[in-house]
Amino acid sequence: MIAGAVHTALFYLLACAAIALALAVTGAQRLLRAAVCLMGVLAMSAGLYVLLGAEFLAGIQVLVYVGGIVVLIVFTIMLTRSADLLEDKPSFPRRLMAVAASVLFLLMTAGIFLTTDFRANPGALPPANEVLSIGRSLLDAGAEGFVLPFEVVSLLLLAAVLGSIVVARKTPPPDQPFTSGGDRPGEVRPDPTLSQNEAPDGGAR
Amino acid sequence: MIRFLASHPPGMTHWLLLSAALFSIGLYGLLSRRNAVGILMSVELMLNSAALNFVVFNRFVQPGRMDGQVMAIFVIAVAAAAVVVGMAIFVALFRHRATVDVNRAADLKH
Repeated sequence: MIAGAVHTALFYLLACAAIALALAVTGAQRLLRAAVCLMGVLAMSAGLYVLLGAEFLAGIQVLVYVGGIVVLIVFTIMLTRSADLLEDKPSFPRRLMAVAASVLFLLMTAGIFLTTDFRANPGALPPANEVLSIGRSLLDAGAEGFVLPFEVVSLLLLAAVLGSIVVARKTPPPDQPFTSGGDRPGEVRPDPTLSQNEAPDGGAR
Repeated sequence: MIRFLASHPPGMTHWLLLSAALFSIGLYGLLSRRNAVGILMSVELMLNSAALNFVVFNRFVQPGRMDGQVMAIFVIAVAAAAVVVGMAIFVALFRHRATVDVNRAADLKH
């Protein structure tokens, strides 16, 4: 009975904390503060995964989301100098439209959730070894496996890494026209550590 | 108190309402933010609530199989890819225009 009470109390605590932190993410004027709140929301979600019995997924969540994605977002905030600028408050019509859209969406989904019978099946037991079961279904090539999306996701991650390197690269090599985003090659300053007589051409490369 | 808490465990509807609330908050941020990084953070909120929804359905509808958790892992991977590409685009955009305000980056070419 104590365990059930703790489970229920933890659910409501984590849910309230997650919602409050999510409101702070969307409302904070300082983006760095919003990023820290986002980290809190994701950590609360990891706790909720633990409550749902998905411990492996909670670990993945902390590793990838809290440790990776939030750090990347903080880097982006620093690199785009968004941390220095206070964001303007959204204008009133904009905020009104946003509130209307999100509240309508919430009401619609809540209505669907409250009126639908989802055939909940609490009697079935989870598999004894969840990580083993997840791994088997990830790499199962049969009708119930996910090996094709698994491979597609690996391809997607590779494409994302290569694409982001190409897009965000600072100086494009002169023979590759795909990167128009960086500085022009001519704008690169000569390296001051090089000696003077080879600076005009040799220093620019 | 303990007896009341123990006799009222959160059901499936509670979990689904929680994830719907998180998704709606993310939607609000998506529509009201002007900084592109803030919009990206709101999208992360929405993706996270979608993954939570998958896990909830897995736990309550078919706890004998791990399909929902596998889908949640895919959602996390796709979110990571989205953040990586988004960060690269924002950095390149900032280098071009010295801003990441989406209103001032509305046209693709200048």
